[in-house]
Order: sequence, then structure tokens, then C-alpha cells
Amino acid sequence: MAKIKLDLFRFDEAVDTVPHRDLIEVEVPEATTVLDALETAKAEIDGSISFRRSCRSAICGSCSMSINGVTALACKTNCRDVVKDDGTIAVDPMQNFQPMKDMVVHMDPFWDKYARLKPYLQPKDKDSEHEIERRVSPDDMKKLVDVANCIMCATCYSLCPVVSVDPAFAGPAAIAYAYRFIEDVRDAKRDERIAQISEDYLWLCAHCYACSYCPKHVEPNNRIVDVKRAAIKDRVMMNERGPRHALVVSKTIKQTGMLAETEVILGTVGRFNVVGLIKALAPLGPRMALRGKQPPVFVKPIPKVDEVRTIFEALEVPVS
Amino acid sequence: MSATLLPEERPLDAHRASRSRETKRYGFFPGCVAKESCKELFNSTMLLADKLGIELIELTAASCCGASVVNDVNRDVARVLNARTYAQAEALGLDDVITICSTCTGHMRAANKELLESEERMDQANAILGKFGAKYSGGVMVRHLLWMLIDDVGLDNLRSMVVRPLNGLKVAPFYGCHIIRPENVNGWESARNPHSLEDLIEALGGEAVDYAGKTRCCGFHVQLEKDGIATNMVGQNMRMAKDNGAEAVITPCPLCHLALDGYQQDAGARWGRTDLPTFHLPQLVAYALGVAPEKLGLNKHLVSPREIMVQRELIS
Repeated sequence: MAKIKLDLFRFDEAVDTVPHRDLIEVEVPEATTVLDALETAKAEIDGSISFRRSCRSAICGSCSMSINGVTALACKTNCRDVVKDDGTIAVDPMQNFQPMKDMVVHMDPFWDKYARLKPYLQPKDKDSEHEIERRVSPDDMKKLVDVANCIMCATCYSLCPVVSVDPAFAGPAAIAYAYRFIEDVRDAKRDERIAQISEDYLWLCAHCYACSYCPKHVEPNNRIVDVKRAAIKDRVMMNERGPRHALVVSKTIKQTGMLAETEVILGTVGRFNVVGLIKALAPLGPRMALRGKQPPVFVKPIPKVDEVRTIFEALEVPVS
Repeated sequence: MSATLLPEERPLDAHRASRSRETKRYGFFPGCVAKESCKELFNSTMLLADKLGIELIELTAASCCGASVVNDVNRDVARVLNARTYAQAEALGLDDVITICSTCTGHMRAANKELLESEERMDQANAILGKFGAKYSGGVMVRHLLWMLIDDVGLDNLRSMVVRPLNGLKVAPFYGCHIIRPENVNGWESARNPHSLEDLIEALGGEAVDYAGKTRCCGFHVQLEKDGIATNMVGQNMRMAKDNGAEAVITPCPLCHLALDGYQQDAGARWGRTDLPTFHLPQLVAYALGVAPEKLGLNKHLVSPREIMVQRELIS
């Protein structure tokens, strides 16, 4: 047995104006989960401690919470792996959500973004007009299997730094789930779906891979890239800054072997978009120039840049 | 905290001893930003290498690593571009390529992992490289300078080489996403609770500041997509660092440096002034090992480190 001190966030929106913390000591088996430790505290010490849980085996997705500052499923996190040197484990509600009671949060923004996807199959004809099952080859299904493992626990959404500064961003789970229908051969709304998720700021993903912590290995970080590639392949909303950025980076690497910073800024914002450029660069641009830190206007191609161009051509990489 | 991955899921090569470690001759991949808007990073890396008595052999014909962005247009191009870079290192007899950028580290390692794990992908890359007579046989590993400093030079050794200790300067580490995540690509240390920068700061005589923002994102990769996003991400993280007592920041990534150094002033409107000077990793190490501060390009930073360095009696 081991003694663990749970450093708990306590708050009840019905009565409290500010949260406080409780330090509760429990005695649990050496290799117990954070969820079991919480259950012990609730059963033996304070029955009012609130947290969502159901399956206890990483299937239902209820028990996501912040454990020592990083969101994870409490049922899949072993105390032994997270306990600090002073014997405590800090437990808080998921970040990026409004707390309701203790570790229970208002999940509405997460569900709203999911609902916007129309997360159901939209085939060309109605099921009632369709006399046999809709068959999918194993190869077509294989790429959807990982996403189908999503348990909507919102771990990724809670860890997402873009959501934390811009709640309009769809978030990793919704984009991964959009991929599940975009790449489904039975679905007839591929381009509408790509356009809709682009409007919900697909391209605002910051490439931070925080969502690679997904407890079900959905890897939303990779699915986001898949959806972006689908958008470029189908040429959907290509005038947005996101796809322009990806293509101009690709173009400067093909031309010079390097990511040419000045060209990338002009190509992303739009070289004739004077207002946009001023907003993107002022007052940072002049400040950098004063310190001698502005990127060069022209980048000299690397030696043997023809080899880089050969690679781009062999793979038919789009650059515009 | 431990990593989220089982030991067998973690990459094997992150701590491997290389031939370069014996010969003290490493391949060097500076990346685009160290050659363009952060030349002071390139220069201070070379000065540090001199002090350490190691030779960094720059792969001058190497291309951009793909910067996490070219994946958005094509699934293969970054992998093949990096295979070309590894082929160049192999041709020079180098098996260990050192990077000075978190984004280069993560994406070059990801490409290498994909190549080494799949014969099909390796064949695809070599079929293209073959068009210009190059070949990659899979013998290269990619590491960040930070990892090399700790694994090959060693913290004790570094501690004994310090001639100008940081006098208790309170430094907040800022890792940059791609040196720690995804864990199955990097895996050199825990992504959730890394401590290499803290260890290094303390070895140099500074005091490491703990704060939740140290493993979060600087926003660099979306700075152009929508105004204000990167600024707010910088503000959020620097606020946490400042509130925990930081006097300066150290980062192994020039992209993080550009965001933290560049956007802090604008972020002040919403997050309050933070004014934390952001050092490139080799700048601070080279300083402590005795490189003259005026050679380190500290005057290039938008948030000047001058005031705090004078206060801590690091410069006069």
C-alpha cells in the first residue's frame, strides 16, 4: 500500500464564487490508478468530491481531467507514474472548459463543434432507396479505423493551445472526426465537409502535437494534416491564408532548397494586400529591421538545388 | 512524471552512442532560420563548438527539413528531402547530425523513423535519390544540440568548464513542441515533464523556473494565419513564466525565439508587460563557458537582455 495526497480543485458553481483546494490523503495499492485513488477519497473521506466516470477502462471517455497540469484519462493514469516527490498528485478539471463542480465541466462547446460536422453518413441516396448494404473495401476502411477509436473524451481539446486563445477553432477531435467522413467512400458531401471544417479554422492548428497525447492513439495531429491535404487536393477554399502558406513554403523550398522567410510572408498574406501586410508586420517588422534581424529579401539557392527540384517533380508536389 | 509510451514504443536511437562521439566530428544541420533571421544562433553555436573542442561539419547542400508545413501538401516530400540530407551526411562519413532547432529535430527524426521502419518508403526515397546518384543506407541519427551537450559532453563536464556562472539568474526553460512531441518520434526524455533544460540551467549556475507553459506552444506556425493568435499564445506562456519569478527565457528553438522575442511587446496589452529576454540555447551556454558576450549577437534581440544581465553582474 502507498499513501498519496490528492491536491484537489474544489468548486461548485451553484454556491461558490471562487474555487479552493483540498488536500486529501488516501491509502491505496502501489499500482492503482488516479481514478481509483479519487474513488477511495470519495468513498472513505468526502462523498461530495465530484468527477465523471463510468467504464474504468478507457472506453467511455468520461474521466478526462487535468493531472499535474496535463489532461489525461484518470482511469488510464497510474498514480506511481505521476506522483510528485512530495507524495502529492494535483487534480484539476480539464483546461479549456468552464468548471461546473469539482472535476466536472460544461462540455457544451465541445459537443457543439462536433454537432456542426453533421457527424453521420450522408450518402448520395437515402437508405430507404438502397436495397443492399453499402460495401466498403478493407483498404478503404483501414484508414478510418484509427479515428473510429475516438471516445470523445476531449483530452485533445483540453490540451489544445489554440482553443485556449481562440474558442472559434474547431479543435483536434472535431477535425479528426471530419476526416472520418471526408475519407469515407460512401459519403457524398466530401467538399461541403472540407469547406465547413476550413471555415471552422482547420488551418489554425499550430502544429504543436499536444493532441498526440490522445489516450486512444487516434493521433488527431496526423488526421488534421490529412484533412489539409484533402483540402489542397480538392482545391477547397484555396484563397485562405492556411493553404496559401503551405503552398508558398513548398514553392520556396522547390526554388531555393530553403524556406525563404520574406517570400513566405508575402505569399501567405498576399503581396498586394497592403492592409493585411501592415497588420501582420507592424510594428514588429520595423522593430526587427532596427535590430538587424529582418529576413533576407532574396535567398540564395543551396548547392545542387536541382536535386531538390527533381524530388518535387518526382512526387508531383503542388506548389501553387 | 513518466512518458505516456511503453518502453518498447519509444524510439531506440535517441540515446545511442555514435561514431561522431568518438571522433568529435558531427554533421551539422543549422536549418533555415539560423541562416536567415537568427544568424546570431548560427554564430553562437559555432563559437560554442570551438569552446567544447568539437567539430561541426555543416551540411551546406542540405535543404529545409520541411518545417512541418510541407506535410500539408504532400505526404512524401519531407521524408525524401531529409533522406537526401542523410545521404549527404553518410557520404561525408558522418553518422550523427546535430540540429539547433526543435522543429528541424522533430521533423528530421520523423522522416528518419519512417524510412527506417519501412523498406517500401526507403526504396521510394532511394529511387528518387538515385536520379542524381545519391543513396541513403539508414545509418544516420538526428539529435538536438541540447541532447548532445548532455549525453556526449555531460553535465558534470560542462559544470567544470563554466568560467562565468549565471549568478543565480532565474531562467524559464521553453522547450518548443517538436523537440519533445510526438513522443514516439523524439522520446529522448518525457514530453510531459522534461528536465534537460532545467539541468543545463543549473549546471551553468542559473536557477531554473518551473511553470506550466514550458512545454506549450509559442504559436509560431500560425502567426500568419490569423492575427493575434501567436501573440496571445506568447502572452499566456510568458505571463506564467514571469509570475513564477522568471528573469529570462532559454529556448532550443529559433522559431520559439522569434515568437517569444517578437510578440512579447504586443502581447503586453492583454497579458501585462513581461519583458523576458529570450536566449538561444547556445548563447547562454557559450556565455557561461567564457565566449565574449559581444560575440553572441545579444544586441539582436528585441527584448534586450542587457538590463537583467547588468543587474546579475553578468556584464558591466
